[in-house]
Amino acid sequence: MKAARIGAILLLALVAAGALMPERWAAGRYDQQFRELPDAPPSAQFPLGTDAVGRDRLSRLLYGTRVSLLLAPAAALLSCLAAGLLGGIAGYAGGFTDRAIVSAADFFLSVPWLLLLLIVRACLPLDVSPAASVAITFALLGLMGWAAPARIVRAAVASLMDSEFVLMARARGYSSWRVLLRQLLPNVTPVLLAQFWIAVPAYILTETTLGMLGLGVAEPLPSWGGLLRELEGVSPLDQPYLLAPAILLAAVVGSLQLILPREDYPV
Amino acid sequence: MNSEPLLSYRVSAEYRGKGAVLRDVQFEIGQGEIVGLVGRSGEGKSTIASSILGLLPLKGGKCTGWIHFQGRDLLSLRDGEMRRVRGKAIGFVPQSPLAALNPNLRLRAQLDEAWRAHQEGSPDWKPLLQSVSLPDEVSFLRQYPRSLSVGLAQRFQIALAILHRPALLLADEPTSALDSVTQGEILSLFANLNRRYGIAILYISHDLASVASLCHRVAILHQGTIVECGLAEEIFARPQHEYTRRLIAAIPNVPGRSNLDAGGPSSDESRARGILAEHGV
Ligand SMILES: Nc1ncnc2c1ncn2[C@@H]1O[C@H](COP(=O)(O)OP(=O)(O)OP(=O)(O)O)[C@@H](O)[C@H]1O
Ligand SMILES: [Mg+2]
Repeated sequence: MKAARIGAILLLALVAAGALMPERWAAGRYDQQFRELPDAPPSAQFPLGTDAVGRDRLSRLLYGTRVSLLLAPAAALLSCLAAGLLGGIAGYAGGFTDRAIVSAADFFLSVPWLLLLLIVRACLPLDVSPAASVAITFALLGLMGWAAPARIVRAAVASLMDSEFVLMARARGYSSWRVLLRQLLPNVTPVLLAQFWIAVPAYILTETTLGMLGLGVAEPLPSWGGLLRELEGVSPLDQPYLLAPAILLAAVVGSLQLILPREDYPV
Repeated sequence: MNSEPLLSYRVSAEYRGKGAVLRDVQFEIGQGEIVGLVGRSGEGKSTIASSILGLLPLKGGKCTGWIHFQGRDLLSLRDGEMRRVRGKAIGFVPQSPLAALNPNLRLRAQLDEAWRAHQEGSPDWKPLLQSVSLPDEVSFLRQYPRSLSVGLAQRFQIALAILHRPALLLADEPTSALDSVTQGEILSLFANLNRRYGIAILYISHDLASVASLCHRVAILHQGTIVECGLAEEIFARPQHEYTRRLIAAIPNVPGRSNLDAGGPSSDESRARGILAEHGV
């Protein structure tokens, strides 16, 4: 188990190094077209070959890794902050506010988002600028994911509000602010952190799904999902190197699962 | 002792959807006096403590009447004023000392928090810890509550409760989570604090033996009213109310002590005498 964790950390470090310095490993930038060499098979210059318009696949994979691995944690941060705020308010305030926020979360959880996105996307013009597509994907992931962690935070805060030590803090004359910042917050932070670590691999996978459906990061910017679209209509047996993004995805998500903090948070 | 009582209490209380829990309960606590409040589980003892601290609304309860304390009626104070009474003029010692500490804050931080609720800066913790017989070392305060025993945690709770030198300490069954040896230590700590600093104590308990050993006066709470109130010796020697007699009769016999027959006021009396003698009252 320990060896597996060390292996996972090494792999993630390697992926990070590749994603941080793609120019050291690859022949060109992700959008540089070698027009004389489209659809080239793997070679010394292009270890994964080139795509239909002659772009180096390795370069696109490394840049795509960077995009995917930045987007997911950023979106996880967004949704955890939203969850902390809304869930915290619900648990602290109770009553009508609580019921309103919990209902909103339940509603969010019950909407078939993927279907809705496909429909909305079908109605909109297809060409979105790459920067806008990144911003949209970030907002989608972040805002769609607030509901589940918000309910967990709400439950934690509500049980803390009923706990002996919070009542005791009142009995010692602490102001509401001190109760909030010094009694509740230190006990909610571990819960939020755990939610963050659960969200990161989940968001990597969701981002990939969106990309594969053409709903994610837009061309020419690469992302894992976008790269996997190349698999459409070809047999991976003929061109096994097209599977590289899928293998990397599985390795990274698997490694993350291995090294995630597993302790139960004390509440 | 001052002629003006420190606390003069007359309250009726109820919980939402529960009906009356306290019916015109009246008692007084003199300056520097230890009063025992006795009653079986569910008679409303904790409700009395919560009402004095103004915490009943948090539990879905409300009360009417008056609570005169240091020249003011606590029930007519505004929230901000009441907050400055809690923990500063009136300390509180809980029943479950560990559950009443924040699990994710070191003891040092909890001490500082309790201090800053009412004062700037940080407390002089060495003499404080010494006064409750806790190790006065930095390493002790660096611990989290989970590494404390219940006895140490209760000492720490008492330290927090007397931090601002309150005039009154409310102790709600402070010994019921403790083993009997630790119980004895905590009881003598209360007696000590009372003697040394003149802190008055409302000692809530269903354990008559500990009440007999600690308290100057005793009030017996039954079905939401005080059925009997008087000097500890007199109540144990000559219980007037039927409920008090039953409570005294229910004190478990210790083998070796002469208890010839069960039931009847005279045997209750001798039993209580035995307890009082044993605790040196
Ligand atoms: N938050 C609450 N809501 C409704 N009823 C309550 C609440 N707290 C206490 N009660 C009821 O009020 C009565 C008195 O409760 P209280 O806790 O004051 O009793 P107690 O004498 O302290 O008992 P114990 O020895 O078990 O601590 C009980 O019947 C209890 O069921
Ligand atoms: Mg109680």
